[in-house]
Amino acid sequence: MAESDDIIHQPLRLKIMAALSAEKGQPLDFPRLKTITQATDGNLGSHLATLEKAGYVAIEKDFVGKRPRTQVRLTAEGRKAFRAHVDYLRAVVEAAEDEG
Amino acid sequence: MRLNREGLMTISRNDAAAALSDIENTQRRGMTLRGYRVGGPILMMWSLIWATGYLTMGLAPPELWLPVWLGLDVVGVAGALLLARAGKPAGAGAPPGMTWRLLGGSLALMIFALSVFWVMKPTEPAAAMAFPGLLIGVIYAVVGFWAAPRYAVIGALMFGLTLVGYVLFRPWLPFWMAAASGALFLSGVWLWRR
Repeated sequence: MAESDDIIHQPLRLKIMAALSAEKGQPLDFPRLKTITQATDGNLGSHLATLEKAGYVAIEKDFVGKRPRTQVRLTAEGRKAFRAHVDYLRAVVEAAEDEG
Repeated sequence: MRLNREGLMTISRNDAAAALSDIENTQRRGMTLRGYRVGGPILMMWSLIWATGYLTMGLAPPELWLPVWLGLDVVGVAGALLLARAGKPAGAGAPPGMTWRLLGGSLALMIFALSVFWVMKPTEPAAAMAFPGLLIGVIYAVVGFWAAPRYAVIGALMFGLTLVGYVLFRPWLPFWMAAASGALFLSGVWLWRR
């Protein structure tokens, strides 16, 4: 059976990974990610830093005109880890159903 | 969470089910927001078509109304297809059957609208002018209640504006409806910017 990924399993980090995974390799900018995950600025920033440190997301900062923009995308490693964690979650639910 | 015999973190069935549900809800929210971003420009485009159609009804003789609206509808459907394609994520691939769904849905709507006019035979031009506004309003409302809540607000707005125009400004209804397309345009901006 696959193992739980403790970095991803934290609720907000799980939402971040889920949101990015649905973008099929396209980046999400910070405000949209904030809306989708329903997080605060500070909370989102700190959990993104954790995911970036783990190599699961890549963060790019640039400017659109004079306005700074932060874009976040899932790395290949992050996609693989997220899939594995989802498989693990499904396996836990299915195993419990089989036992029941 | 707890540790198993190998010292690895394990989670309960409830935790796993809750996490899966969180994933599903987050991805659905993301999809809805993406839909708004794609739908916004389409709504803005339709507001211009809407204004053109109603100005034609206000300024041109009745025999021109049907051909002009049919032409505008064709332009609108083609434009919506192009905008929907441009708005999807590059890596997402073509949404399965989207073109046929859009074409089939538009055709069904047109046939429905024409059939209603044929069966009901409205003698008053204002009735024919109000019908598309009511129809589009209720369609948006249904889409809103089923899938994307902001469309319910836009549908209610279109429905309400159409009824207000029909009751209070009937002699100037085509111009009222053309002006109401401004609300449709702003609704498109509202969808697109969020």
